[in-house]
Amino acid sequence: MPSLFLGILLLGLRVTESQASGLAPPQQVRLDADTEAQKLLVTWEDGRASTFDVEILRTELMEIVFNETVVATEDQSTGKHQWNWTSPVPLECTSLSVKVRSRDGQDVSEWSSQQILPGLDLPDNTDSQMYPEGKTVPVGSNMTFCCIVKEGQQFGSLLYKDTLVKETMLSRRTYATTMTNQGPSNPSGTNVVCSDEKKMIITGAVVFVGYPPMPSDLVCETHDLISVDCQWSKGRETYLFGMARQTYYTLNGRNCSKARDSNMRCGLEQWDGNWTLVARNLLGEFRLTDAAELGHRVRPVAPVNLTTPEVYSWNASVGWLWKYNGYERLSLICQVQRTSHSNSSTQTYTGYGLNTVVLKDLQPDEKYNVKVRCGSQKNFWKWGEWSLPLSFQTKMDRPVAPDIWLWMDSDNLGRVLWKPLTKSESHGQISGYEVTLWSPEENSQQTLTLPQSMYSLPINVTDRWSKVTVTARNPAGVSLPANVVIPRHLPDAEDTTISKVTFNGSGFPLSWVAHANASCGYVVDWYNTSCTHDCNVEWTRVAADNTNTMVQSSNFFAGVRYTFSLYACSSESTVLLERWHGYMQELVPSRTVPRLSPNQEGSDVQLTWDQIPLEHQRGFILGYTVYLTNASHLTLLANITDPQLTNHTVKNLVLGSYKFTVKAYNAAGEDGGATVSISLDPYTYWLIMEILVALGTMTCLLIIITIACYRKRKWVKKAFYPDIPEPKLPGEWGITQGTLDVKPSPHSMVHIVEDSVWDSSKEALVTVPEEDEEGTGDEEADTDEPASLRYYNQVVEEGSSSRGRPHASDSSASSTGSMDSGHTDVTYTGIQTSACSLAPMAHFQPQPDASQCAGGGGYRPQMQSASCPEDPQTGPEEHLQPPVGSFGGYQPQCSWKQDSPEADGGGLDQACLGSPTSVTSSQFLLPYDTSEEGKEHQSSASTWFHNLLTGKP
Amino acid sequence: MAGTRTRRGAGSEQSRTARAAALAEELHHECTLLLDLYRKKETFAEELTVGGESLVTVPPLSSQLSPNDMLWRLYSALQQCRNLLERAIGREEAVGNGGDRAQYENQKKTVRDRLGHLLASTRLLLEDGAGTAAFTPEPKNSEIDYPGNGSPFALKLWIYRIFNELEHWTLTASKTLKALHPDGATPKERRTRGRARGRRTRR
Repeated sequence: MPSLFLGILLLGLRVTESQASGLAPPQQVRLDADTEAQKLLVTWEDGRASTFDVEILRTELMEIVFNETVVATEDQSTGKHQWNWTSPVPLECTSLSVKVRSRDGQDVSEWSSQQILPGLDLPDNTDSQMYPEGKTVPVGSNMTFCCIVKEGQQFGSLLYKDTLVKETMLSRRTYATTMTNQGPSNPSGTNVVCSDEKKMIITGAVVFVGYPPMPSDLVCETHDLISVDCQWSKGRETYLFGMARQTYYTLNGRNCSKARDSNMRCGLEQWDGNWTLVARNLLGEFRLTDAAELGHRVRPVAPVNLTTPEVYSWNASVGWLWKYNGYERLSLICQVQRTSHSNSSTQTYTGYGLNTVVLKDLQPDEKYNVKVRCGSQKNFWKWGEWSLPLSFQTKMDRPVAPDIWLWMDSDNLGRVLWKPLTKSESHGQISGYEVTLWSPEENSQQTLTLPQSMYSLPINVTDRWSKVTVTARNPAGVSLPANVVIPRHLPDAEDTTISKVTFNGSGFPLSWVAHANASCGYVVDWYNTSCTHDCNVEWTRVAADNTNTMVQSSNFFAGVRYTFSLYACSSESTVLLERWHGYMQELVPSRTVPRLSPNQEGSDVQLTWDQIPLEHQRGFILGYTVYLTNASHLTLLANITDPQLTNHTVKNLVLGSYKFTVKAYNAAGEDGGATVSISLDPYTYWLIMEILVALGTMTCLLIIITIACYRKRKWVKKAFYPDIPEPKLPGEWGITQGTLDVKPSPHSMVHIVEDSVWDSSKEALVTVPEEDEEGTGDEEADTDEPASLRYYNQVVEEGSSSRGRPHASDSSASSTGSMDSGHTDVTYTGIQTSACSLAPMAHFQPQPDASQCAGGGGYRPQMQSASCPEDPQTGPEEHLQPPVGSFGGYQPQCSWKQDSPEADGGGLDQACLGSPTSVTSSQFLLPYDTSEEGKEHQSSASTWFHNLLTGKP
Repeated sequence: MAGTRTRRGAGSEQSRTARAAALAEELHHECTLLLDLYRKKETFAEELTVGGESLVTVPPLSSQLSPNDMLWRLYSALQQCRNLLERAIGREEAVGNGGDRAQYENQKKTVRDRLGHLLASTRLLLEDGAGTAAFTPEPKNSEIDYPGNGSPFALKLWIYRIFNELEHWTLTASKTLKALHPDGATPKERRTRGRARGRRTRR
């Protein structure tokens, strides 16, 4: 009950409020839809207010689309209010409900009855659809597309082109998506596809996004002096194609149906003076205008039917026709372009109704193509189109004189050379050449006819001919003669300076000092410097007032040295002025230095080589580099900057093997390098030399010593070999037995071991001459203390120092035996001992050596000992038996080896030399008998020499 | 009759069938290419399919049918395809969207020409070949004409469906003609079976 009461109260208040405002709700609200423009026209009546509240809802989902207060004036004629609304969503997409109420300030009327604009998603419209379809919009537009799915079908997705886009549900069957800032479409438009949940296409729409037309550069002109032909540029691409959306043009209101694609032109039959071009498509139109007088826009058509009425060797006339008669009164300027095989030139002609021109400066026997175009000479506007080309060929004419030159192959032989005539010089096919040799002195001439393929003739300058003339012949005639003087005196090339010239990229720039005798100018010729036979010679002529030229040729090659020669030319002779050498491009030498060889000079190695042949230098050789090669590593040893120097010495090398590489270099670089190996030998010769010098020095020294000794031989003999006094034997020596006094050393004891063999034939003591003592090489002489020994002749006196020792005399015998060491063994014992020690020593040497009696010749006092015949212990037979392997004398003091084979007294290496020597002195105990002539010389020399070598005095 | 015909000219008929099968296979390849080109031209997503009733209406090609009847139905379907293709080409030329679509335009012409050859070859295989057969009238399909009422998208979809029909029926023709061939394979396929199988796999 309370709620019912409250409701009634509120209703009553509202009615009261409405009645209180006095505003009547709008009546007869009507909706009119412009689906193409997506506009909704709302009209109503009976609204006294000027402002209204309008509310628009999507009927099915009751979503408010629009709710605003609008101003709507009353149409006085109909008394209705109307208001336009543009829907962002196509009106077909879903039903819209519209209601209106009047507003006057804060007072509002009741809402009108709701009017519904039915959409196409109503149940009775079962098909699937999409809106808007086929719409054309400018680039950058925003659009909303809606898809109405088929009744009972399930919506899947929306795709713009092939991109999935987000959709919004507008009704039970309607889904929409909004695309912003759309880009240009492809020619068939942009597709928006609606598919179901099975990815099957339900429906779709196409939108064409493009630009309105924007042509430019409208220009109108006349060709026939009557009609008008207008052209313009298409301008920006519209991206709209097809019959419905393409751009259409009109010129002064007339359709230009042929204006399509790139052919933007349109014509009118009459000259209007003002033209307006309108370009139009679904997105808009664009206007262009142009205005001009006819005389200012004349562009003649192309001449037709070109002909050549007259053709000569050097000129020809060309004629043509005009398509329109009006040109006869038109002042024309025409260009005639003529093209030959290599040249193209354009000449200009003028005249009223010009239709013939004469072409001058043509080349004989040349094929030409000509074409013509014209313009209006007065108020020139544009050149007309070129005519079709016309071809013709000029007639032949006699050739020009060939360019000839005399080239000297040697002092006497030369060649007359002439250049082949070019196409522009021959004026027709050359059939041959005539060479005439002249001798004015003898008033004679000789003419030779040469084929067209010959360009030289060898001559001998020592012949009588003094001038050569060459002419060329073609079917049209003979050329003027070309002359060259055969020089009487050849220019001396040796005296001519040669300098270098550098290629500057286009040629060799040569300059020189003017020469007085160059009346007909200068000639520069050049050839391959390394060429020796039938060289290709080229030349060029320089005017007399020119002192420089640029030598250019297509025959220059890199790495080739060329010789350029400058000649002063006169009517009498040619004079060689200057020469240059040059390379178009220097390359590294193509080969290594030849004949590279090493030569050892002690610890130095000299490398020598030859210069690279000219054809292999391929550049100006600047020098050589010498490397020491270690495996693949090169160590620079020297850089020889003088190209003429072809040797280098590497100093102070130690013994070993070396590899040297020598490279020649020019401006382009080094060659590959020639390598040579050398193994340094020991300094054999040097050592030999040293040895020889040493030997020589020693020899000299020995000679000097020998000479000195010889000169001082007496002193030497006296000093080293004094005479031993001859024993003085009083009375008869033969039977008298005397005593040979010998003064033994008081401190020495000599044991003489005598051989028991006794030579019975030597019963008497043999007198040894004093001279023999000198010849005994086995003896030493003690000059400081002359010997004072006494020898006993077999009978030893009693009471002597040897008394009591029956064999004490054996020592004397032993001494005698020492004269023949081959028969006596001498054993020294107890040297420097006291005499008391002699007794036991004597016990071991009881037997006198009887063999010493039969020993070698010489003085053997011991052999004369009485004990020999009287020795009771030994028979004569024993004395007759020579000892085998024993020594006849006694051993020298130095020998302690009784049985030693080295004890042979003949050996020089024995210090004692086999001679018994006093133990107290070095004096020989038994000098040889000097009477032995046969031994004297031998003994004295050998003894002296031995003494010298052993250092004994 | 069929047996008689087979006995009379079995060799030549087999050869004709083989040639028609090879032609159908090649045409199917061309139709597939045309469909790809159109899909790219219209930026149709590859996963999207076209629905609706078939534009080509013939009774189903049942295995119970005699070879001659199968050929008749196949011939009828191909003829409808040709009519649809001709109309599609005409509609597109009328719209004249232009643009640089040379490859697509050439492919359309290629398919049209080869479809004509296949029709001629198939016709020779019919019982009353050599052009003396009394053909059934073309079925009146409501969709045989452009149904879009000026809707650009409807026209595109219609053409898309025609190309799909072409792809389908040329494949059917290839299979049917191979099945009708005694060896079950065309000479070309026998020669290059491995390569052809690989090509289909790539598709």
